Amino acid sequence: MSFREKIHWVAFFSLIMGFGWYFVSYPWAVANTRAGMLTSVWMLLPTTIIFLVPMVAGTAWLAIRTPKEANLKEDEREKTIHLKGTHAAYYPLVLGIWANVFALINGLNYGWSVNILMATLVSAELIRVAAQLYFYRRGY
Amino acid sequence: MARTPFTNDIKTLRFFAGEMTQGDLGDRVGVTRQTIAAIEQGKYSPSLEVAFRIAQIFGKPLEEVFQWSGDFD
Repeated sequence: MSFREKIHWVAFFSLIMGFGWYFVSYPWAVANTRAGMLTSVWMLLPTTIIFLVPMVAGTAWLAIRTPKEANLKEDEREKTIHLKGTHAAYYPLVLGIWANVFALINGLNYGWSVNILMATLVSAELIRVAAQLYFYRRGY
Repeated sequence: MARTPFTNDIKTLRFFAGEMTQGDLGDRVGVTRQTIAAIEQGKYSPSLEVAFRIAQIFGKPLEEVFQWSGDFD
């Protein structure tokens, strides 16, 4: 398994941990109020910590273990995998924007809006990383 | 799983080139060991540049390293 594939696994599980905690702990009952929106913003701080700490620590640990691989530039196969993953992430982004427009029209504001946008971003990231992991496993 | 429409003799050529490892070949071509493994297994179709570089390292013409096995239709 290449260095880049390993850090993709780290990113995948870090995303699930950080934003999994966020969406499970969020007080959905107050989502459609101003307090719900402020809670979302406040909760981003611990979420970022939960997400970033394992990601930075994991990447640093892997880079220390395999410094030669960590310093290698992306080759043509890895660039293709990167582009394919980014392409796959476009679809959840579009769906999420439409979901947000639909929610706003139907009176779901404040926290709902923030959370739908956040879920859009997280699902796009998860699909990007998962698609890249799939292509790494498949060979290209 | 989709396979490339050509086969290759990279593994054999590596063996006859002093048992060169995939990592050594990757370093010389400028790709990762995993990319060489994917090319060898027919999972990844390399660019012309990488294909020519591989052939050049073994001192062979391209068609002795890669052989077309698919249809032209």
